[in-house]
Amino acid sequence: MASEDNRVPEGSNLPDKMVIDKMVIDKGDTTYRIISKSVTEYHFIVPFDLPDEERIEVGQIFSIKDKSLTFLARVLNMEHSSNYDGHWDTTLKGTEFYDADQIFNRVIAEPLGCVSTQGGFRKSRTLPTKFAPVTRAKKDEFEFLKKVMGDIEIGYLRNGSRVVEEIPVALHSEAMDHHMGVFATTGMGKSNFMKVFAASCMRLAARGESKFGLLIVDPHGEYLKGKKDAKGLMHLTRYRSGLACYSTDRKNASDPGVEELAISESEVRPEDIALLYEWSPPQRDALDAISRIFSSSNWLEEIQSNEGLARMMQEGFKDTTVLVLVRRIRNVLEANKYIQKRSSLENIITNLQSGKVVLVDIPRMSDRSELFLLSIISRYILEAYKKEDQECRKNCLITIEEAQRVLGEGSNTSRFETIAREGRKFGVGLCAITQQPKLIDKLLLSQFNTLVVMGLGDKNDRRQLEESAKQDLSSLDIEIQTLEKGEAIVSTLNIPFPVPAIIHRYEDYLRILGKEEKDESLVRRGGFKPFLE
Amino acid sequence: MLRENRLKVVAELMRDHISLGGIELFFRETQLCEEDFTVIEPQDFDGRIYAVDGSNVAICSWSVANLNLIRAGYAVYQGREWQKTVITYDDVFLADPRICSEEFDPYLKAFFGLKGIDLKDSDLDRLSTYFRELQEYIALNEALEEAHAGDLLIYDGGFDVFEPLRSVLHIIFKRAEEKGVDLLGISKSSSLSWGKDISLPFVQHTGRAGTLLFPGVPWYVGLKDKLVDHGQGRWEGETYIVRFAGRSDLAFRVDAPAYLAGHIGSALSRLAAYSRSSECLGYPHALFRAHRDIRITNQEGSFMRQKLIEVLAEMGLSHSQMRTLTQDFHDILEMRPGI
Repeated sequence: MASEDNRVPEGSNLPDKMVIDKMVIDKGDTTYRIISKSVTEYHFIVPFDLPDEERIEVGQIFSIKDKSLTFLARVLNMEHSSNYDGHWDTTLKGTEFYDADQIFNRVIAEPLGCVSTQGGFRKSRTLPTKFAPVTRAKKDEFEFLKKVMGDIEIGYLRNGSRVVEEIPVALHSEAMDHHMGVFATTGMGKSNFMKVFAASCMRLAARGESKFGLLIVDPHGEYLKGKKDAKGLMHLTRYRSGLACYSTDRKNASDPGVEELAISESEVRPEDIALLYEWSPPQRDALDAISRIFSSSNWLEEIQSNEGLARMMQEGFKDTTVLVLVRRIRNVLEANKYIQKRSSLENIITNLQSGKVVLVDIPRMSDRSELFLLSIISRYILEAYKKEDQECRKNCLITIEEAQRVLGEGSNTSRFETIAREGRKFGVGLCAITQQPKLIDKLLLSQFNTLVVMGLGDKNDRRQLEESAKQDLSSLDIEIQTLEKGEAIVSTLNIPFPVPAIIHRYEDYLRILGKEEKDESLVRRGGFKPFLE
Repeated sequence: MLRENRLKVVAELMRDHISLGGIELFFRETQLCEEDFTVIEPQDFDGRIYAVDGSNVAICSWSVANLNLIRAGYAVYQGREWQKTVITYDDVFLADPRICSEEFDPYLKAFFGLKGIDLKDSDLDRLSTYFRELQEYIALNEALEEAHAGDLLIYDGGFDVFEPLRSVLHIIFKRAEEKGVDLLGISKSSSLSWGKDISLPFVQHTGRAGTLLFPGVPWYVGLKDKLVDHGQGRWEGETYIVRFAGRSDLAFRVDAPAYLAGHIGSALSRLAAYSRSSECLGYPHALFRAHRDIRITNQEGSFMRQKLIEVLAEMGLSHSQMRTLTQDFHDILEMRPGI
């Protein structure tokens, strides 16, 4: 109890009211501000309980405005975090969090670069000021991307799961002879991507703007007229003139726009047979000797005759060795009925060189037959393009499905490796499509300058790509794992960072291309707008 | 040398201290009964909760005086929403019994109209505790000025304080009563004890008894007329043992000034509604926040110590002089780094 004599008497020299130098910590805006960490990694925090529509996703792009620069950063990961130490969150009872400002999610983002007030984009060599505000990047902040996009539209920019329809993603024709890889597990939309890609190429060809011819060999019969509800390339009637079709299927070939595929016997070489089988050393020797012993134009017939067998034996080959060769050659000829006296190859080359999309439809053919045909056509193309450069000739891109068969380590298909290594010199590029990039030779993969990655679950596949890609994909590991069907990461030299994209749905793209104004440049007017129709 | 059976004896004693053997014995010896327990119905309210706390860290000491970093303030909540934390004092305090009245008196006069207190004979360590408590009371006073009738003002600690500052509390109680603000002191630890032969922990054992009798619900029990060793026990109010959340095993000592006697149940109901956070279940959340925002971390202490060395060095003191002055010989024996 206060004793009365302890009190200061009224009126005595009571000091003026002492002023306390108070410091008030109030609800500051601690979230959505850069808090760390370096030039190569940004951290900021966001509320732990964001509503669904504001959730942060891997791959989402944020902008950080800092004086005259706008930094762009892509979310790589998020972590639960708090200002509390220790294992408080595993020992607590109940879920009634009171202090939302103390519990948050830490967002880890990778800098993409920075945009100056003049709109120029460059890689960032500095870091944003601490506590610089972070916001979701808006469409106008991606405008600079329009300037670096190419002419082959494939989809839209994607910001997390959100589509940025104002920014079409388009590959550069000029990069196609630097090879392209399309990587995705089954069902992620490889075929849809290829049809969209081919449709854009057809459009360019029909408008006389094409810079390369595209060869697609389709063993599944899905590109020509489509399958079930999916449409094919022939459905793009508006730009049909940009497509040349060849088919081994009589019914398909009865269509006036489709030529029945034929390869002349004289165009088949022993090395085309060689890549189809495993050979013993004597058999390999015998194969190598064929072109020396027989005429190049008639060797297929000659070797199957009794005289042919005798000539081979005269050269020292055992009859059993030669008979294996002959039996295998007969099998190949039996399985590939398109080997005839006439040939479509000359036409194919002409169409490619004029910049068209050439679709070779070989439904119901075996893997081996497909490989055989691809080998013959590729060799023919490479030889044609090795000849003296013609002024008006367009470059060529050869598509290989299940590319690991021919570009894998130790595969005996040196032809495709040669194209991968040397094709660029002659204007020939490869478009390798595979579910298993881990099986593709790492050195060959490093030659691929354009990568379209559409979801890879296997970490060995991702690692192989990351180690070989020209742009750094290692930080995108989580995003690649979490890509949904139709989503892709597009990495190409002409675009300054790997771009997240949503690939157009082919049927939507067809519909809009069909209505396109004749001379309007699709990319220039901001891509098509399927969702706005 | 410690014999094994000696340790066993001590362990048995500890067991007797910790465990509540039988509730009947506890009730018989403390005069508590089941009817003394009152179940709390947590009740939301529109008012604010002000939670006051303080912290002090020794910076250095030289046998006859010492230097402490002291901080005091309060956190403000509206329901479950933290509004702000106000730091009312954040400074060093030089504890020298001869001169420290100069540090106390201006505050006592300015805020409480008191003449000052004689601390010449006080223990050195206790001086900084007194000063921290004084700053906490000033924080209480500041919070009280900001509060409105019906608000809750809670303090981290008891009101059963030593004589020198009792007058200050008396004035705070009076101001709180006049303003219609409910003031409660909540102690995380308590020396309340019971038992004839040995000192048994009263709060823990009451908590255990409450859990057995009223599982899963919050409750409180008043200690008026109970056989509990209150220590000094001379202050103007009542002490309660309170479990704020049914799902928590923890009970706390709660001191309430006498003016709250008529509506202690209402005050505790309102506080219990905001003592259910996951961050610190069963403890008033505002106090949890106040503790975290106001505490002085070891890092801050080290930083202040370093700055002090720099200032002393600028004044021409050598490190060797500083060491000689400030190092406790125990530190030398223990090979601890000193100032």
